Amino acid sequence: MPRRRFLKGGAGLTALAALGAAGAGTSLLAGCASDLTGSGTLPLPRPNNPVKWPVFAGNTAVKSGLAAEQGATLQIYIWEAYINQDVVNSFAKKYKCKAQITTFNTMNEALSKLRSGLTYDVLVGATPDVLGQLIEGKLAQPLNHSYIPNISQAWPDYTNPFYDAGWQYTVPYTIYTTGITWRKDKVDENPYAMKNPWAMPWQPKYSGRVAILDDYREGICLGLMKNGIFDLNTTDYKQIGLSRQSLQDLSSLVNLRISNTDYSDVPAGETWISSAWSGDMAAAESYMPKGVNVDVVGYWFPADGRGPVNNDTMAVLNGASNPVLAHLFLNYLLDLPNALNNISWNGYMQPLTGVTPQVLIKEQILPPSLTSTVVVPSNFRTGLFELQLPVDADALWQQAWLVVSNGI
Amino acid sequence: MVSQQSTRGKKNAFWVALAAPGILWLAILFIVPFYAVLSIAMGKLDQLIAAPVAVWNPLHWSSSGVIDVWRDIFGANSFAGPIVLRTIVYTAVASLLCLLIGYPAAYFVARFAGRRKSLFLVLLIAPFWISYMMRMLAWIDLLSTGGYVNKALGLVGISPVNWLSGNSATVVLGLVYGYIPYLIMVLYAGLDRIEPALLEAGRDLGLGRARTFWHVTLPLSRQAILTGLLITVLPMLGDYYTNQMLSGAASTSMIGNLIQGQLGTPGLESQGAVLSLMLLVVLLVPMIYYVIATNREAAT
Repeated sequence: MPRRRFLKGGAGLTALAALGAAGAGTSLLAGCASDLTGSGTLPLPRPNNPVKWPVFAGNTAVKSGLAAEQGATLQIYIWEAYINQDVVNSFAKKYKCKAQITTFNTMNEALSKLRSGLTYDVLVGATPDVLGQLIEGKLAQPLNHSYIPNISQAWPDYTNPFYDAGWQYTVPYTIYTTGITWRKDKVDENPYAMKNPWAMPWQPKYSGRVAILDDYREGICLGLMKNGIFDLNTTDYKQIGLSRQSLQDLSSLVNLRISNTDYSDVPAGETWISSAWSGDMAAAESYMPKGVNVDVVGYWFPADGRGPVNNDTMAVLNGASNPVLAHLFLNYLLDLPNALNNISWNGYMQPLTGVTPQVLIKEQILPPSLTSTVVVPSNFRTGLFELQLPVDADALWQQAWLVVSNGI
Repeated sequence: MVSQQSTRGKKNAFWVALAAPGILWLAILFIVPFYAVLSIAMGKLDQLIAAPVAVWNPLHWSSSGVIDVWRDIFGANSFAGPIVLRTIVYTAVASLLCLLIGYPAAYFVARFAGRRKSLFLVLLIAPFWISYMMRMLAWIDLLSTGGYVNKALGLVGISPVNWLSGNSATVVLGLVYGYIPYLIMVLYAGLDRIEPALLEAGRDLGLGRARTFWHVTLPLSRQAILTGLLITVLPMLGDYYTNQMLSGAASTSMIGNLIQGQLGTPGLESQGAVLSLMLLVVLLVPMIYYVIATNREAAT
């Protein structure tokens, strides 16, 4: 059903309003992975439903054995403040080219601009949940693996990830978890000792000091996990409604702040408990006030690895003016020294076998007290990925978040 | 006679021609973007990436976005009503505070600054040298738990206040801080234009200072007050940044935050566009009143 038709007549809101009613009927949108389709005709990848994307006529990989484009300007399209300029400059120096970075603030903005016809060479930061849109829209081109031998440095899982079997279109960029960060010196509780650490924000005594990430997937997922629901791609409108209600309760309980500035607010002591991305908290030391040790900042992620895990990818865009350079750039970022240089600035770790907690501590990229922010290879298999949803379910998630984020 | 009419006609054409660049500028920078927003509000959705697709031909416009927003505000399951009410309350309180603080400041500069008038004017304009965003960011530091505001309160024995977590007073004060310079400048211009002879006449007729102010100065500055309030109220109603920076809590979100949220949500951009246009229509009411009041004032 097209999203518009679903929402027309307030069907989406009516469904939301009915969610509070006890004993509501069967879920509106329950489904299993093999039945799910995205916005087009392509399937939705899941860990138990890996997808090998098609290669469309007229959108094939660049030929092998070509020399890098000479005197070119590599156009990199990436999230704002998400790559170390030094790494980009060193690439440009090595390949005797220029490199220009253009940034975007939201994935939707990036997709809209690409769809409107703007062309770049490389897209850095696309999460697996938008790959279907990128590929169906013929916005990304298949990779020629011969230009990217450094894939051998990545975790083995990335040579055949479920969201891009055979790594046809993407290589990994960063990997991160979503957990709970807290100030050990301000908060009595320790999530490691709690029965339900996901419920840690729901404590009225910390009113005014609690925040959650300003992201509809992360927000609703927190509500789901607090209620013991670990299908982070649920299409069950009752579960979505339960999460929404929990978040609304949280908002009333603690005068909830919704923001992505946890990376500075927690070190500064303005926020004491927050949901957080691991990469943000790995860089907490940079934001600590003078005289305050980073040891007071904690980051919790489930020991069994069953929590939100995600990775950003890199892709060569269709219509790239410099496809060979683009491939070489992907290869460059998969090289350990460059990756470590990038992580030292970015905070977000890259899934290379050489990036271990010991190396990160030895290189003074990560303080020992925050090794919990490190993502390990097993997290790829045990972690819960937030993936592309069917259009109608996505609409319910979005509407639920709109209600929560506007204090309704 | 014919040559006089011809000369007059040429002069009129000259003045009209002088206005042409301004009209062209207005057309390009207002009418075109307005039409673009309208085309998105009435447009379609790219099903692949849930992005809005502008429909430029009015004959193909769809009203579904308008219906959705109408239901959000007024329907059986409306949820945007409280946000609209909150925005109106914040704006009303902030505007009143702007007037109560700004009027004395403008009055002082207009009537009592003397040789230092230019200096005071520069000081009043100084906030404009820094972007609105930077000024709000500065307040985050000042209002933080260990910031100077709490340190100052601590000197008089008041415990630190959590200014930055969902505090309505902080948002209102942020709005006042952000927009008061506009009001002061307009009020100053109006007060400065009042003939001193009129004020002296009031004193000569036996009115004291307070009654002169009440019966002479205040009525003569009514138009300036109206203009100043319009200039502050209009942007305040659409403000989202102040709440986002100084609060970030859902409990203090304003209609600008709702629009921002919709514009940043795939598939809801057209609803955000509709809400923006609805806000524009609502704001037309005070603007039309202002035009009528100004014309009436000019006629008298």
